[in-house]
Amino acid sequence: MGKRLSTYGPFIPVLALYVIIFLVGKGVQGMWQVMAMLTFYCALGQAFNIFLGMTGYVDFGYVAFLGVGTYGMALSITYLAHQGMTGPAVIIIGFLLALIFPALLSMAVGAVALRLRGAYFAIATIGVNEGFRYLIEGAKIWNGSEGMIFTSELNQVLGRDTASGLSTFWADVYLFIIAALAALVTLHFMRSRIGYALTALREDEDAAKVMGINVTKYKIIAFITSACFAGLVGGTSWALKTPYVFPPEVFEIHYTIEAIIIVLLGGAGTLMGPVIGALIYGLSKYYLSIILPGFQLLIFAPIIIVIIIAFPDGVMGVVKQRLRGTSLARFIE
Amino acid sequence: MLLEQLAGNLFQGLVLGAVYGMATMGLSLIFGVLRIVNVGHGAFIMVGAFVTLWLFTALGISPLVAVPVAFVVGLGLGFIFYYTAIKKLIKAPELASLLATFSIGILLEEVIKLIFGSEFRGYNWALPKIDLGVTVLPLSKLYACIGSIIIALILYLWFNKTRAGTAMRSVVEDTEGAKVCGVNVDRVYANSFAIGIGLTLASGVLLTMFIPVGINPYMGGSYTLKAFVIAVLGGLTSPYGAFFGGLVFGLIENGSYTLFALIPGVEPFALTRFLSFLMLLVILLIRPTGILKGK
Repeated sequence: MGKRLSTYGPFIPVLALYVIIFLVGKGVQGMWQVMAMLTFYCALGQAFNIFLGMTGYVDFGYVAFLGVGTYGMALSITYLAHQGMTGPAVIIIGFLLALIFPALLSMAVGAVALRLRGAYFAIATIGVNEGFRYLIEGAKIWNGSEGMIFTSELNQVLGRDTASGLSTFWADVYLFIIAALAALVTLHFMRSRIGYALTALREDEDAAKVMGINVTKYKIIAFITSACFAGLVGGTSWALKTPYVFPPEVFEIHYTIEAIIIVLLGGAGTLMGPVIGALIYGLSKYYLSIILPGFQLLIFAPIIIVIIIAFPDGVMGVVKQRLRGTSLARFIE
Repeated sequence: MLLEQLAGNLFQGLVLGAVYGMATMGLSLIFGVLRIVNVGHGAFIMVGAFVTLWLFTALGISPLVAVPVAFVVGLGLGFIFYYTAIKKLIKAPELASLLATFSIGILLEEVIKLIFGSEFRGYNWALPKIDLGVTVLPLSKLYACIGSIIIALILYLWFNKTRAGTAMRSVVEDTEGAKVCGVNVDRVYANSFAIGIGLTLASGVLLTMFIPVGINPYMGGSYTLKAFVIAVLGGLTSPYGAFFGGLVFGLIENGSYTLFALIPGVEPFALTRFLSFLMLLVILLIRPTGILKGK
């Protein structure tokens, strides 16, 4: 028991935070939408952290994985509804496609980009998002720039009541589950060979290689895992909550920026960091948008610069350092 | 007919390519000397475009005069950002400098949006068009092309004939060695960053001559991507490599547009953008040191 607690103990406070967010959303009048937004940011941060946090590589094209995940769900609902299929199986197939599409894209991108180091990797990925968007628009794949609207298909598949319940409530519950799963996978990685290999890689890639660690393999595992979670987040939060998909909206680079801010704020490579980052970012964005609409980015850009220079380890980095050696340390990762 | 059209477009591509090349020299200079990728590159181009717009519409000053003005503004911005942020990040992991330059880009976009608003703007510099046989070219574009070549030549001379330029080249070659030989590396870093940003702002002035009504706070993003492709074509650390990379890129972009337009049922403009991304990946895969540079 003691060993298992020290292995998976840090998952307890993360799960507790998710439960608190859920209960506040459910219990407090008018808070559900705010909590749903926070869950989206938690899930996004948790998913991105698996790659950015654990490897230290910056993927500027990350939102493309959310985009193709959204398309996976959209295509499944649209196509299967036209085939006359109904019931939850359609959504399950949608989730599968929302996993497979980003997995394929991340393999294709990773095969090229993950051979490259640091700055070269970032340069390679900065085009992925735009490249994919313009491929869809240019070659008119999946309706091209006109996008897809599948409200009636979703109603046809699930019935009107279930479909609206899915959009307004269950999609957010799924997001909670996805975020928690991503956290669990992160912790599992941290406690296994992958985590040790990635830590070695982050500290000194050449040394890790010399020690016989197959760095490319572990980078690809982290990249694909992170991409798959991103696909699920897109397929759930975008396709199920709002049954339409337009290329400029799902390949919007601002989501990549938000993911980076969340991970950095909370502490890259820590387990609880993305949740803390999502809470700070999401709540301040929400209240800023009420107090000073349109100025969020103007305020956040200098904040990121300050964080990078003054607190490169984020909130959890500082907390972890403070708690080192105390009995609480085993619950914090 | 098609060949004529292709020849005309390729010529236009060459003219635009010279400006693209010049617009990438700053990026390559900064990466070569500081080993920092300026992910906010396009935002600095955008600021240059707004300097032009403001000088022309508010004060009636010719865009040609705007080139040195933008360069000086860029020098100032470069020094400010260098001493407030970049200096502390040179030794930090790449993650830090990438995110810092990215955030600087966002900051610039938002500040410009605050001042000028987010709608598309343009200015009307009424210059005649000239007929060159293969194609008809507005005189303003020709000025932009010639201006780019002159700036590239000045940079070349400055690099090779002045002490400061030689010091910069020595840091590109071997930072430690330069330090040992008495080069003030810190000052070279600051100067290179400022000059790189200055060049980028100046290129923003020249680029406005190709986008009559396309000046907007968020116009920089597509130039960032193009600049990366061009810089990678030219070997990423060499400003001249970048200049020739720009020429090649201009040719490919305009040539492929002509060819994509022949395929029925596609959007050729979007496909050229996809192609530039594909080029980026392929070049990085087969030859990260650049196509145009020898081994």
